[in-house]
Amino acid sequence: MTDHDTLPTSELTRRRFLQGTALTGVAAFVAACGTSGTGTSSPAESAAATTSEEPTASEGGAEQSPSAELNFANWPLYIDTDDEDETKHKTLEDFTAKYGTVVNYSEVINDNDEFFGTIRPALDGGQDTGWDLIVLTDWMAGRLIRLGWTEGFDLANMPNKVANMQDVYKGVDFDPTDDHHAPWQSGMTGLGYDSAATGDLTSLEALWTDDPRWKGKVTLLTEMRDTIGLTMLRGGKDPSQITEADFDDAVADIQEALDAGIVRSFTGNEYAEDLVAGNVVLAMAWSGDVIAKQAEKETLVWQLPDEGGMLWTDNMLIPRGAANKYSAELFIDFVYDPEIAAQIAAWVNYVTPVKGAKEALAASDPELAESPLIFPPADVLANVSIFKTLTEEEEGVFNDRFSALTGN
Amino acid sequence: MHARQWLNRLTPFLLLAPGILWLLVFYAYPSVQMFISSFWAGTLETGFTVSLDNWTTYPQALERYGPQFGRSVVYGAAATTVCFLIAYPLAYTIAFRGGRYKSLLLFLVIAPFFTSFLLRTQSWKIILGDDGILFGPLKDLGLLGPDFRVLATPVAVVAGIAYNFLPFMTLPIYVSLEKIDGRLVEAAKDLFAGPWRPGGSIAGGVVGGLTAGGLAAAFEYDIVAFAILGAVGGVLIGAFFLSESFIQIVFPLSLPGVFAGSLLTFIPAMGDFVNAELLGNTQTRMIGNVIQSRFLDNNDYPTAAALSFMLMAGILVAVAVYARLLGTKELTSSG
Repeated sequence: MTDHDTLPTSELTRRRFLQGTALTGVAAFVAACGTSGTGTSSPAESAAATTSEEPTASEGGAEQSPSAELNFANWPLYIDTDDEDETKHKTLEDFTAKYGTVVNYSEVINDNDEFFGTIRPALDGGQDTGWDLIVLTDWMAGRLIRLGWTEGFDLANMPNKVANMQDVYKGVDFDPTDDHHAPWQSGMTGLGYDSAATGDLTSLEALWTDDPRWKGKVTLLTEMRDTIGLTMLRGGKDPSQITEADFDDAVADIQEALDAGIVRSFTGNEYAEDLVAGNVVLAMAWSGDVIAKQAEKETLVWQLPDEGGMLWTDNMLIPRGAANKYSAELFIDFVYDPEIAAQIAAWVNYVTPVKGAKEALAASDPELAESPLIFPPADVLANVSIFKTLTEEEEGVFNDRFSALTGN
Repeated sequence: MHARQWLNRLTPFLLLAPGILWLLVFYAYPSVQMFISSFWAGTLETGFTVSLDNWTTYPQALERYGPQFGRSVVYGAAATTVCFLIAYPLAYTIAFRGGRYKSLLLFLVIAPFFTSFLLRTQSWKIILGDDGILFGPLKDLGLLGPDFRVLATPVAVVAGIAYNFLPFMTLPIYVSLEKIDGRLVEAAKDLFAGPWRPGGSIAGGVVGGLTAGGLAAAFEYDIVAFAILGAVGGVLIGAFFLSESFIQIVFPLSLPGVFAGSLLTFIPAMGDFVNAELLGNTQTRMIGNVIQSRFLDNNDYPTAAALSFMLMAGILVAVAVYARLLGTKELTSSG
């Protein structure tokens, strides 16, 4: 869903940002939403997806050994990275040390749709995509699983994943059996603003307020689920139960803010740069981005709105026909080891899905283990929503109308 | 002897073969494929079916995306005009006043191409930032209102396009100017060609006024004010910089370069979507943005293909008309 390609700053490690961050009002932080969103799972579709995997799943009896290589596509800045050498990732080196498999790690995913476009022809043609492991956001992961374009996991190879995945992620509607996807990290969408320019804001209403301090310096996200989701929350509606009428209402609301000249544009990750440059002072924003940018501009704030925020999860998938499926399974299981999960969490600003990671981290860095950003307190969940998993028709209609709204 | 004759006859075709193969594989085949997919109906998940009944995609797409098509033409034309206004004096100076620095100056013209297109466009966001290096000081001085901005407006988009395609205009003009025999100008002077103040003022005023007024119209600014400003500028430039030898010899001889440069600028400018995406906002989307979004965000391949095809056909027609008016011979002979 998001871009994670904010640049690391040399002086401060991500850990420092976290410690120094006044996470204003992370009144509610969730991991708890894996299961909440969706009255509309379609059992027929999931069943179809599952059966299509059977040929692969049933060949498990043979003796398997790790392959020489593992081709892993991920988003930028989404794994622990050496402060000195950006090409070094300790987690990957640890994996190589344990299994002898060299991980070809590529930060090639900047956008779900765009990456989907690159692997679609191969998958559609029944060919290997060249990737053994990819990371995509819920709805896109759901689409691939629905299309039968992912390999089912052999859970016998994944004791850690079975034991350590946080309960809230279990049984999502697009993969009720939890054997086609494994959450990598979660994050939230809320308000990002420059407090020096706007003062303190807590309500989404600001995005619709004609205030000279931010008029014309407001951006929304090109990610339909985030922008529509937050707009619905402002109206007191539940994005996990969105109907066509809700969607149209949200579009009309956004059009109002556009016509009033309050909203300047829709952006992907660029809003983070614009916040730093001062072209934008208020934006719908992803939590990790803003926190990272605070190193460049201290007055930036990420705020979970009073009305609530959106929660999304990026998931590891094994694309159909992957050459090194067994190694990919070993890798997924490897990052569900609490020690390894803690190592990744200590560098990335997002919510980790692994049980025990907090305890593992507490041993080495107790302060960081208390970060509500990585380990949202269980009692302050409640205030974030997951967007409904859309049917194909809904997705077509919504995307089309949202494109029209953004000028395309 | 026979074999040799055959070989002679075949040689031109053999020499053409690599180029023709290239065009077949990378141009003709994809074009046909694109044309066919514009007659698809269906979705990514159910698969697509081809039927001639789906011709309705074309009028529907045209109706829905008419504004974006129009914007592409207007922005493309505006950027081409801006490019011409900047590139001509630039190329002229390099060709006739460059002296021993000619090569260096030419290198500087293309030097930006050593950097990625995206990065160059992105850096305009820094330059044109609301409180950036250009407007920040002007705002501090009170010359501009605090709400003044260029980013997320058509001006930024056209400026970005003009910047990115400037070398495509400069180089052909330079080539055609460079080829001009200096003795022609000397001969003209011997025949009493001198300054051209009255004619230059009138021509400059008319061209300047029309150009500035047209650009103002494209940007939705005050047309009259800009036309007057442009006319005044044009009169001054015309009076002081246009000579009889320039109008009668240099400019006509450089027209093939202007023609080639305009095409090389206008065609990619019309199809551009990066500038509109990065420097514009929802009101500045061009047809390239729509095609991109239809194809990648909406998985609406038929509409994307139909739009691409119409854009291609439209450009072909425009080029044909333009070539008819100005002559293709000159294009091919401009080197």
